[in-house]
Amino acid sequence: MNQSIQTQSPNNVSLLISQSRTNTLGNKTGTWRFVRPKYQEKTAACSNACPLGIDIAMVEMFASRKDYQSALNTILMENPFPAICGRVCFHPCESACNRQFLDQSVGIHQIERFVGNWGLKNTQQHIQYPEFNGAKIGIIGAGPAGLSVAYFARRLGYRCDIFEKSDKPGGLLMSGIPSYRLPDRILMDELQRLNDDGIQLKYKQSISMDQLETFKQHYDALFLCCGDANSILLKIVGENFAIDGLNLLRQVRSQEMPTIEGTVAVIGGGNTAIDVARSLLRMGANPIIVYRRTRKEMPAHPHEIDAALDEGVVLKECLSPIELQKETNHLQISLQVMKAGRKSNEGRQTYIPDGNRRETMQVNHVVSAIGAEMDMMWRNDQWELSMSHCQMKRIADIPVFWCGDMTISDKTVTHALASGKQAVIALDVLRNHGHDEIKNACHQCQVGNGPAISFDIYKQGKRKERNNSEIANFERLNTAYFPNIPAVQVNKISQEACLNSFDEVISGFDESQMIEEASRCFNCGICNDCDTCRIFCPEMAIQWDQNNRHILMDYCKGCGICIEECPRDAMNLEVEP
Amino acid sequence: MKEVLEGSHAVSEAVRLARTKVISAYPITPQTHIVEALSEYCANGSMDAKFICVESEHSAMASCIGAASAGVRTFTASSSHGLALMHELLHWAAGARLPIVMAEVNRALGPGWNIWMDQSDSLSQRDTGWIQLYCETAQEVLDTTLQAYRLAEIVNLPVMVVLDAFFLSHTYEPVDIPDQASVDRFLPSFVPRITLDQQNPNAIGQMAPPAFYMEMRHSIQMAMQSVLEHFIDVEREFETVFGRTYGPITPFACDDAESIFVMAGTSASTCRQAVKTLRDKGHKVGVIKLKMFRPFPYQHIRKCLEQTKKVIVLDRNCSFGPGGIFAQELRAAMYASEQHPQIFSYISGLGGRDVTVDHFLEIFDRTEKADHPENESVWIGLNP
Repeated sequence: MNQSIQTQSPNNVSLLISQSRTNTLGNKTGTWRFVRPKYQEKTAACSNACPLGIDIAMVEMFASRKDYQSALNTILMENPFPAICGRVCFHPCESACNRQFLDQSVGIHQIERFVGNWGLKNTQQHIQYPEFNGAKIGIIGAGPAGLSVAYFARRLGYRCDIFEKSDKPGGLLMSGIPSYRLPDRILMDELQRLNDDGIQLKYKQSISMDQLETFKQHYDALFLCCGDANSILLKIVGENFAIDGLNLLRQVRSQEMPTIEGTVAVIGGGNTAIDVARSLLRMGANPIIVYRRTRKEMPAHPHEIDAALDEGVVLKECLSPIELQKETNHLQISLQVMKAGRKSNEGRQTYIPDGNRRETMQVNHVVSAIGAEMDMMWRNDQWELSMSHCQMKRIADIPVFWCGDMTISDKTVTHALASGKQAVIALDVLRNHGHDEIKNACHQCQVGNGPAISFDIYKQGKRKERNNSEIANFERLNTAYFPNIPAVQVNKISQEACLNSFDEVISGFDESQMIEEASRCFNCGICNDCDTCRIFCPEMAIQWDQNNRHILMDYCKGCGICIEECPRDAMNLEVEP
Repeated sequence: MKEVLEGSHAVSEAVRLARTKVISAYPITPQTHIVEALSEYCANGSMDAKFICVESEHSAMASCIGAASAGVRTFTASSSHGLALMHELLHWAAGARLPIVMAEVNRALGPGWNIWMDQSDSLSQRDTGWIQLYCETAQEVLDTTLQAYRLAEIVNLPVMVVLDAFFLSHTYEPVDIPDQASVDRFLPSFVPRITLDQQNPNAIGQMAPPAFYMEMRHSIQMAMQSVLEHFIDVEREFETVFGRTYGPITPFACDDAESIFVMAGTSASTCRQAVKTLRDKGHKVGVIKLKMFRPFPYQHIRKCLEQTKKVIVLDRNCSFGPGGIFAQELRAAMYASEQHPQIFSYISGLGGRDVTVDHFLEIFDRTEKADHPENESVWIGLNP
């Protein structure tokens, strides 16, 4: 194997070195190994934070390569409405994004929105639905939760009927979210996807608890997705002078635009209060949000509060209404001044009346937007199954699932969609493996440390091969590979245009901006074929052929360099079995 | 063209003129200015070379070894702890017979952290198989660096060009920067005797079992033994082109000298001043500046020192136990000589401490009065 080289020199200088022309295939360095590397994909921190557990790292990878069909399919696996969620989701993914620890989070929701829009404009691939599994389900309510139940159930072979009280699908999407956040066109186009699924929607069907018995003849399971239909009352004298916030939003959305002018007090601190105030601005009124705690405690999403204040909404803190009085040309609100009290056991700041300090405000209108609750008739506290996003009990021998806002504490569109997914999977496990298997089966589909579950994992898709419970955190990345790149700023319409119309405020990314932003994604926990492992392997034991990367165990000596170098924590080192 | 140059930049200019193809280094004071200038040359296109940034000196030398194995001219620079970190690969570079050139700025080793002049770092590497050439002026630095490439490529051994920290690296002097055409004439493009070949793949430095290893080592020794002869040829050619020559040693006023100082580096200039003063007082005294330390130029040394009575060695280093390293080498060199002079060993100027004319006068005075050398090296200039 060894060969000496004696080279001739014009100067007669001795030069003898060892040299070999034999290849190293005979040297099976794999025998030295006591630990072995393994491609082991994990859950990205963003996916872990997503209520729907979308495979975001993969979506961004496809989007950055302009493979929009794959990006769309990846989202649609877990979320029926990318164009809607790209607009209205409060994107906890971005708050968890590992990139924030380097520079700024990736604009994930803007990328989802772009991919969603692409999906609306481009012909869908034909979906291969499974065969009818013999079970029919009834869904009460065509809001996000009900539509989600139908979407996922259809993909498991169920037949679905939806009973909707109003004459339109969408629930809160249609009646509660103003069009400057979610334009009609996008909403309608995206809901069309369900029509294409062949889901039967029955409108103007008001279902009551008593009727459920009769459903037994037609359905094998029921899903109650009725939402929080009733506004919570202020419970003060003069309440009847206040306009109901949810009702106002419904009117605004339905083009029955009421005329509201002058100064308007909006009572509340949640997303409804913000939506009302921003809508009022566009209607030409001067909204003042009156909240009994401070901005810090407002349950509305911070970016929504910022947008409202930027547009000119006034916020008055630490004021709680105690009485409304009708005067000749205006309403007078008596307000109790509040002050910080003790911290609650959970560490939340409480607010208590500041003695007898009172203030009065004179306004033209008052809108109450302090939240909503479900109809009393659906109340129940005896469950056969209680999970993070749904609850179940049997009524007349068929399982009935409570879904969406009726059961979840985070009342957002995305959580409602997650609720539908969880309930469908629970039903499917119940039917196929029995009640006792439900929690375990859901745990098997868990993304990261939950509670989000993956439909792809449930269907034994490619994601099943990952170590889904392991999270690729920032500390596990090799950030030497990631230079600082500032986030791409999103396009918005002008302040003036905001105030004069209900046009969508955020106009999103154009294609080049989207690619630039998607390319900022670290693709945490997944292999994006960067080839770093292969380049660094000192034994050339990593091979790339037939679109597949694999390790030649005859030569891998277990040095771990590939794992050390992998920028995105897609490999693990294991003790040799 | 003459320019006022920092000693460090005299190295950078030479590396640029040598059309070096790969430079890899890790910064360390007092070496940093050398590679700083070179990285700028690479960035602004005045050099057509690849500058490889690395995370350590160990990797810097590894990069040079890789590049030199591929058959291109390479350069690195280091100092003190950085050089010490390279140690393993210094052996490899010489064993693989790669003509790498390195500038080594003599600096003390810690602890106590000390960035100043001291010869301990380069002398610790004396057994690695590297040729070592010590310089006294910025011009000599530039010239020696060019000669180093020529010499390295003839004998297939790496060369360390050594210069004193700050006294030379950070001092400005007028330097004649040769034009590119003359340098190209003196230093033609590199034709490697061993190289990696993608068409005919081979592994260099493979396993050498007992039946083979010894011959490889012998070959290195043979090459090292031929260095002096080739160095003289290289210098002759250099003189033809540029009109300057230094020699493996540079004697001054040695012909009739009864006592001769020996040292390397910038203190030779100070010593010549002292010798002039002593000559004026009627003492027959001379000085030899050592340029070549590896291989040690035995014949030149012997020829120069044979007729003298006392050899006074100044070491700016200490091998703890035996004492001054140059003194040890000189004792070994003169032992074989029939009429060997007495060798007086002095240690001074460690960690950047000045060695002044007065110190040399004191050393001479002590040596003059002594009948024979003390058993151990004598330390001069210690604080009371």
